[in-house]
Amino acid sequence: MAMTDITPAAVLVAPPSRFEIARGRFLKYGFGSPLAIAISIVVFAILGWIAWSFLDWAVFNAVWSKENVEQCGEHGACWSVIDARHRLILFGTYPFEEHWRSTLAAIAIVATVLLSCLPAMWQARRLAILWIVGFATYYLLMEGSLLGLPQVTTDGWGGLSLTLFLFAAVVLLGMPMGLGLALMRRSEMLIVKWFAVIIIDTFRSLPLVTTLFTAAVVLPLFLPSWLEGDKIWRVIFGFALFFACYQAEVFRGGFQAIPKGQFEAGKALGLGYWSILSQIVLPQVFRHALPSTINMVVVTFKETAIVTIIGFFDILASGKTAFGTADWAPYYIEVYLFVAAIYWVFIFSLGQYGEYLKGRMALSER
Amino acid sequence: MPTADVLRKKSKQRRLIIQGTLVVLTVLAIWGAVSNAQYNLTRLNMTSGFSFLDRGTGWDYSFSLIERSINDTYAHTLLIGLLNTLFVGFICIITTTIFGFIIGTMRDARHPAVNLAATVYVQIFRNIPLILQAIFLYAILIHMGGPRQAMSLGDVAFLSGRGVMLPGLNISPTAAVVLLLVSFALVIGLIVAKVALWRGLAIWFVGTLVLTLAAGHVLRPAGEALFTIPSLQGLRFQGGISVPIELFALIVSITLYGTAYIAEIVRGGLSQVPRGLVEAGQALGLSRASIWSRIKVPMALRSIIPPLGNQWIFMMKATTIGIAIGFSDLFYITVNSISQSGQTLELILLLMLTFLAINYSIAIFTNWLNARLQLKEH
Amino acid sequence: MNKYLAASAVIATAMTVPYMAFAQSETVKQIQERGTMLCSGHNGSYFGFVEVNDKNEWKGLDIDLCRALTTAILGDPDKNQIVPLSWAQRFPALQSGDVDVIIKATGWTMGRDTELGLQFSLPYFFGGTQFMAHGDLGITKAKDLAGGTICVEAGTTIERLAASYLQTINVEHNMVSYESAAELRSAYLANRCDAFAGWGPNLAVTRATEIDDPEAHVILSDQLSSEPISAAMRQGDEGFVDTVNWMLAALLIAEEEGITSANVEEMAANPANPRVARLLGVEPGMGERLGMRDTWAREMIAAVGNFAEIYDRNLGEDSPYKLDRGLNNLWSHGGVLYAPILD
Repeated sequence: MAMTDITPAAVLVAPPSRFEIARGRFLKYGFGSPLAIAISIVVFAILGWIAWSFLDWAVFNAVWSKENVEQCGEHGACWSVIDARHRLILFGTYPFEEHWRSTLAAIAIVATVLLSCLPAMWQARRLAILWIVGFATYYLLMEGSLLGLPQVTTDGWGGLSLTLFLFAAVVLLGMPMGLGLALMRRSEMLIVKWFAVIIIDTFRSLPLVTTLFTAAVVLPLFLPSWLEGDKIWRVIFGFALFFACYQAEVFRGGFQAIPKGQFEAGKALGLGYWSILSQIVLPQVFRHALPSTINMVVVTFKETAIVTIIGFFDILASGKTAFGTADWAPYYIEVYLFVAAIYWVFIFSLGQYGEYLKGRMALSER
Repeated sequence: MPTADVLRKKSKQRRLIIQGTLVVLTVLAIWGAVSNAQYNLTRLNMTSGFSFLDRGTGWDYSFSLIERSINDTYAHTLLIGLLNTLFVGFICIITTTIFGFIIGTMRDARHPAVNLAATVYVQIFRNIPLILQAIFLYAILIHMGGPRQAMSLGDVAFLSGRGVMLPGLNISPTAAVVLLLVSFALVIGLIVAKVALWRGLAIWFVGTLVLTLAAGHVLRPAGEALFTIPSLQGLRFQGGISVPIELFALIVSITLYGTAYIAEIVRGGLSQVPRGLVEAGQALGLSRASIWSRIKVPMALRSIIPPLGNQWIFMMKATTIGIAIGFSDLFYITVNSISQSGQTLELILLLMLTFLAINYSIAIFTNWLNARLQLKEH
Repeated sequence: MNKYLAASAVIATAMTVPYMAFAQSETVKQIQERGTMLCSGHNGSYFGFVEVNDKNEWKGLDIDLCRALTTAILGDPDKNQIVPLSWAQRFPALQSGDVDVIIKATGWTMGRDTELGLQFSLPYFFGGTQFMAHGDLGITKAKDLAGGTICVEAGTTIERLAASYLQTINVEHNMVSYESAAELRSAYLANRCDAFAGWGPNLAVTRATEIDDPEAHVILSDQLSSEPISAAMRQGDEGFVDTVNWMLAALLIAEEEGITSANVEEMAANPANPRVARLLGVEPGMGERLGMRDTWAREMIAAVGNFAEIYDRNLGEDSPYKLDRGLNNLWSHGGVLYAPILD
């Protein structure tokens, strides 16, 4: 916008607020011509009708408590099913008396994710410590035997807590693997480079569920028995490898944004490969890769839903079980909406945060 | 300088050692895995090899494009799974690309209502896991009731909890698949010939229509009508094309989800077109539609095609969620073959090689498409 | 966790000597060293056999048999760990050692016995494959299903049985198969299919409890098979098969002799005959020959009861399903269950 033709009178008038600009644009483009008005009316009417019907069903005509389940009818949602079965959806088959542990553990993971959104945490070491601490808290609480609580093995974990666990474990394990693959791919040593290229391209071409199925079912045949581990750890490893192959490409993008000269400058200062990498290059790579990394993390959270196919009791599977009895069978829509809403809140807010960061970084680079 | 030489020599040595170690470790890991597998197979007394492929399966599944029976061999059944996966994948690639461009353009529009509608759509469908959407949609669809409660659309098309019944050309399914392939080949041909977008679309549409009608005339069973229309007889509909509800739910859910993603790619591409170009178009007196099709889209395509290709690959991979709703895609057929025949390693190997082949082909196609479109600029 | 850390440290060298470690695999010994027994569960509920109750605990006939086996080996019914598995995953999971035994309504077939490298225990249950259909269709036999849609569970023997049966009686149909029982049931109830093929007892259970109006569904007269249901184990460990067989035998003998969880201590204190004395470990021999404690059967019966108690609790009178014992009664009561001789 040209700032040269400001008259003295205009200076006295306050600049239009963002709201006013938005309102101006809204009126101009939405109601500027007969056609625009017609479109506005039709679209807003349809959107309004959808929103109204939904609210009418989900709120105004809904039954909320499990005691009132007889009142559930055709015209309103029956949230009684959530009231009665939410523990099953959130915690799966985790022992009933120990649910407080599962709750705390889930909060630990959520807090870890929220804390990593603070710019003050954006240093590789701080993030690493934060995630390891958050993850360890979760594991100690859920498993319990090290804290002197009754032991609950991973087979008993379920629901939202299991989804969060898979997510955190995959990101924690996959991030360093991804960095390793990205570095290997940049290597000047041809064999190292091609090794990384083959791994990355292969896993990116395979559907996640085949990778996980292989890790869960087929891998034990290839491993000596002492290396097999629990099914859940094999699946996490497979998932982390999948994550790493995508994340390696994200890091590669970050590396490409850094001028080659920096490496040479570092060499001229007499620094070794690893010092240049860790002190000069990597901090910048992380910064450049941050928005895409957040995107990958969001996608990973979403993709954890796939483990229901290979028989894990994640939130989707426990949701299905929640309406799996005769009493609750008619209210599958309510359960699915509840599960979908949980996913949506997590994914949408993380995604919006990513967008916000992207915008901010684009601004600072201008 | 001798020191520099020494350093260089040293670093050369180190590289050799690192690469040598990597090779040795890889070979050891592969050898260890293979010998373990051999040991485990002998220990568990499992038979290995591909001879099971010639055995009959003895089980049935929800959907096949070509003739099938429970006496088919495993090889034939796996082929059907592959065709199903490719079929769903291609349909979804086409629908998501078309709808993605529409919604993406709406996201880029200045009109607030249009923009809002598109934004709401994208934010809802992009932020819920695909498998949840598929299972949810499937649950809703199958609760619609049996054929006798079917929703009718002008008495020629029906939607029930069993599936979608459409009026169809009176030809065999195999012939229909061949027709689809010919139509697809036509698209490739038009791209190779660098025909302009709108004209290309027109040629493709008319060509496909003529071909279809011709095929219908030649291939229909003697004495029967060109089209068959579904009608309720006994427990199910007879005639027409019957789309099982599993297939329908899978296509719709992948389309809803994939469209939201492609819309964002398209919006990103459109928003990167320099304003100056659009203004130049306006100055030339071009209509909004022409500015979109002649300036914005061609310019945007350069940044759209590479992520679009990734999205196409994603679509192919996404067909594997068919297993969650009982659709017989390649993954479903493979997993079922594993539990019925026990040939885990062989079947997983086949599955992986097939997906690698499909997705590498798509990647090659996208690169080729990209090169085509890039060249056109100059 | 530790396992992995240790593992990754020595991965390179040890990969080269892969199978020294389990050259002398003995399942019972492994279970005792581990201190827990790994049993198969289901991804959801398979009513009466493997199900999850309101308290999120596993229960059912198969789960109780697993608890019995756990008590026999480890002396504590709660030392088991139920690993949720789909039908398709159960055999790979057994082969890979994710579970020690499959007690999950699993039929004894030749293919499984030979090609899959499994071995089976004595049958503990008999049930045949049947069809259940929506009552409003007004059909009574499979022949009437012509043109209809039939649902089955993927990866089971039922899937093949139903397909070949319908082919034999020449009924044209569509078939849809699902990976879990819950999905199959909700699909049938949602009217995705006209009928579903299932295992008789499970159909009866579903009809009795999972459906608001049992009269609205009919179980068709065709009996496709009668399957012996057994526990499945990995091949190459005969000792473990013996353990499982005698665990089942002990439950049946206890029923024959009228030993229940309530009176087991009483009977042990004052055994009615030498057979009871031997069974309850009053006289030695029972444990030694299996490499276990002499009192394992007594502890097991005290913890889970005899076979009749287990049946009644999960499927029979004391369950919501009220299933008649029929074939699954002792031979002396008109059934086909019998125990080998305890000498």
